Amino acid sequence: MAQIELVHLSKLYGNDVTAVRDLNLDVAEGEFMVLVGPSGCGKTTALRMIAGLEEITSGEIRIGGKVVNDLAPRDRDIAMVFQNYALYPHKSVYENLAFGLRMRKVPKSEQKRRVEEIARILGLGDMLNRRPAQLSGGQRQRVAMGRAIVREPKAFLMDEPLSNLDAKLRVQMRAEIARIQQALKVTTVYVTHDQVEAMTMGHRVAVMRDGELQQVDTPQRLYDAPANLFVASFVGSPPMNLFEAVVERDNGRLVCRIGETELELPADVAADRPALANYAGRRVAVGIRPEDVREASGWDGARLRGRILLVESLGSEQLVHIEIAATPLERSDLVDTAAQPPGPSLGVDDLERAVTLLGRFDRHLLLAPGEAVEVAIDPRLLHFFDLETGVAIPTVDVPVAAEVVS
Amino acid sequence: MSSVTQIAPTPVAPVAPRGRGRRRRTRQLGWNVLGLLVLAVMVFPVYWMVATAFKPGQQILSYTPHWVPTHPTLSNFRDAVHQPFFWDAVKNSLIVVSTVVALSVVLAFLASLALAKFHFYGRKAFIVLILGVQMVPLAALIIPLYILMSRLGQIDKLTGVIAMYLTFVLPFTVWTMRGFLLGIPKELEEAAMVDGATRFGAFVRVLLPLVGPGLVATSIFAFIQAWNEFIIAYVFLHTPEKQTLMVWLASFTTLRGTDWGPLMAGATLCALPVVVFFLLVQRRIAFGLTAGAVRG
Amino acid sequence: MASVAESEFPLVSRRRRRFSRQRLGRTLAPYALLAPAATAIGVILGYPLYLLVEMSFEKYGLFELIRHKGRWVGLANYTHILHDGEFWRVLARTVVFTAVTVTLTMVLGTAMALLLLQVSRWLRVAITTGLVLVWSVPVIVAVDIWRWMVDYEFGVANWTLTKLHIGNFIRHDWFANPWTGWGVITALIVWGAIPFIAITVYAGLAQVPQELLEAAAIDGAKPWAVFREVTLPLLMPIFVILTSLSIIWDFQVFQQIWVMLDFRPTNDYYTMAIYAFHQSFQISEYGLGAAIAVVMVLFMFGATLVYLRQMLRTGEVQ
Repeated sequence: MAQIELVHLSKLYGNDVTAVRDLNLDVAEGEFMVLVGPSGCGKTTALRMIAGLEEITSGEIRIGGKVVNDLAPRDRDIAMVFQNYALYPHKSVYENLAFGLRMRKVPKSEQKRRVEEIARILGLGDMLNRRPAQLSGGQRQRVAMGRAIVREPKAFLMDEPLSNLDAKLRVQMRAEIARIQQALKVTTVYVTHDQVEAMTMGHRVAVMRDGELQQVDTPQRLYDAPANLFVASFVGSPPMNLFEAVVERDNGRLVCRIGETELELPADVAADRPALANYAGRRVAVGIRPEDVREASGWDGARLRGRILLVESLGSEQLVHIEIAATPLERSDLVDTAAQPPGPSLGVDDLERAVTLLGRFDRHLLLAPGEAVEVAIDPRLLHFFDLETGVAIPTVDVPVAAEVVS
Repeated sequence: MSSVTQIAPTPVAPVAPRGRGRRRRTRQLGWNVLGLLVLAVMVFPVYWMVATAFKPGQQILSYTPHWVPTHPTLSNFRDAVHQPFFWDAVKNSLIVVSTVVALSVVLAFLASLALAKFHFYGRKAFIVLILGVQMVPLAALIIPLYILMSRLGQIDKLTGVIAMYLTFVLPFTVWTMRGFLLGIPKELEEAAMVDGATRFGAFVRVLLPLVGPGLVATSIFAFIQAWNEFIIAYVFLHTPEKQTLMVWLASFTTLRGTDWGPLMAGATLCALPVVVFFLLVQRRIAFGLTAGAVRG
Repeated sequence: MASVAESEFPLVSRRRRRFSRQRLGRTLAPYALLAPAATAIGVILGYPLYLLVEMSFEKYGLFELIRHKGRWVGLANYTHILHDGEFWRVLARTVVFTAVTVTLTMVLGTAMALLLLQVSRWLRVAITTGLVLVWSVPVIVAVDIWRWMVDYEFGVANWTLTKLHIGNFIRHDWFANPWTGWGVITALIVWGAIPFIAITVYAGLAQVPQELLEAAAIDGAKPWAVFREVTLPLLMPIFVILTSLSIIWDFQVFQQIWVMLDFRPTNDYYTMAIYAFHQSFQISEYGLGAAIAVVMVLFMFGATLVYLRQMLRTGEVQ
């Protein structure tokens, strides 16, 4: 078991393609760290640099306190689980599991003991003589895991190991991997593009984009206090609603104008966000999570008027698409474009000033498309972001998260 | 054919760099030096042929070799081309080769259609036949072939040679074409048929264009085989007027003693068409006999 | 049969089970397409093969040649050659020659492929082009080049080897001594055979999934161990195919020796192919030649079987 430190890690291809830019990350001993982000964000490159499969352009990687930049992969005492499993097709399951031990000259009896134990734990006991081609996807994945575990390395590196499995199997394996890691307490760096996987499995999650670290934090804090627009839009499914608003000062109080509606910001809200005062008279980006968008009956605070576009019944709740009069975010480069809800419908007078809000409504409410609806907005649940940089306007009771990038 | 030249794909896969920093650079340099050496040694004979072809007589017949032709001349080429029966040989080779190419492409295409698109009784047997028959040594077959051809009156006739070349080229060309056809997804044909084509129409409109590169590659292969062939031409064509270029070249020395300059010039000329085409085709064939052989 | 044929033509209505001209046409189509090629192969490859075996049991001299018919003598030809010391010498020589050439070709070719992996990309392109160049040279041309290089008086190889103090080769007739003569022939054949092996093995190496090599490296294997444990086993099918092909080709070598020695090789240079040819076309004992040829084919049969089996395994599974 060892901690892993990435210090100012960078990777350049040729002269112009930056895959990883100045990455600083500490993975504590026994921690399950997830690197997540859209494809091309540099997470796999970073992982491969830790493994020694890619050359480091600049910076340092330390495993267990020792700088490993110049060490070959086999000397770093790490184990890797590949996306396509990389099982040796001509070797049996037993030989696959024992390979690493054989290479390190572990005595045969010890090899046998460890392999059989791992096989038993992973439910591969009666498959030891089969070849990978005879196994199912889930079984192969377990052999790949077993091969890593049996070596008792300093750290596990996993490169999207669940991507090739079907949805049900993925959910099952997710839990298994998390459980195994907790039991073994091995430092693990796990790469995925699926934010649900990241949130459910990691002790901490590092969100990356275009080679840069956006935020590293526990899943809950990433959700509750995203450091910038990208993290806000990337984490959470369905994604956070994001649109523009204007902060104004009205009789000494701060108000937030969404479309034509003015939301008064209570004193405590303004006090918690001292920097917000600097934005008076300016446009900001505003975010609100779908579960914080509620039907307005019984709410005596600010309300937004809207029209229902679509109701998606999930059984446990309803996902309602509501069109409100607000200005959409024009800086689409700041958000995760894959996570954006569908745009406004046709038949709107002014296309520039309509936004589709996603709300999670109670399943018993009777809602139909075309109906007018009023939505309750609790200003305490709003997230504010700078429109130029995308950085969140910080709240005082939440300590500034580590590794915030603008 | 005395040796059925199989054509394999040109690999283009990149390889991950290994080693770190400065140590890696010197190691890389070492490999490159070795590589250059190996390249030089391998290619030297070909270079030497061409260099000799352009050297004047005194530079050729000298006890210390002249490594580079410092006074290049075309006299050797002139001599070679003026040899008796050179142009006859060129004519014969061209006739034989073009006929063989044309016929083999047509026959191979038809046969490979049958193999690739139909299931029929005897299909596997035919495939085994094709593969196996390539393995029968020409040197052995030439004996009964001679007997057969003499019974058919085809000794010293270009038609006999054409027929034999055609047959020897067929197995490989059929196999290759079959591979190409198998690579075309069935859905394309079916889409064409849904769009109103008959089975035959689908063949023509869909398969033919897609299989174009395969036809080209096959014809180039047939060309190379027919052009290079020696044994059959040597055994079956007796009169010098009927002989092909390879026989002409092989007989060059025995007629004139060792006239190395013109011989090398003649050799260069004989090799030229094939070398050019070979360089063209080796990139185009999408797979060779090893596709799928590596189990991953 | 009917269901198979129908599965090929999903759009043909299945309701008409009666004999129809269309169905007949469809079923006959493959045979019609195959007919021309099959006929050619049958007449010119198949029938002569049968003829070869038949002739090996016949006396077929000049007289028979004119009459277009051989005289049956049963196993006389075979007993003759099997009792002929020359035959055994030639057979042994051919076997040894094949073993040496195939080994050299495979080893050097594989080494070349491994070298291709290590060099920089530009050099890889250059070497591959060089290999294709060598590969494309017609056999007769290659023979002429090598004859020139080892020429008695002015051969560049003679001069170079002497300069490298390997021996004195000035005015050396390489073919006077069969050992050196065979050395030249072997070098020529191996030189011409390496490109195909190198390029094919390299293509195979490139097909080995990168991930497997990385996994082995991470699992602690040194480069040689990675090659031995991962690459080599995966490359086995290719090696089997290439080796059996090489055996088949090298066993029947004829042209190179024939042309290299001015169409008049001495006994020391006889391979099975030359021996059979000599018996038939020079001594006009076609029956004997046929018998020798049959033995030759039988000897290659084993290698052919291996090759066929491997090809079917990789070729049909598509």
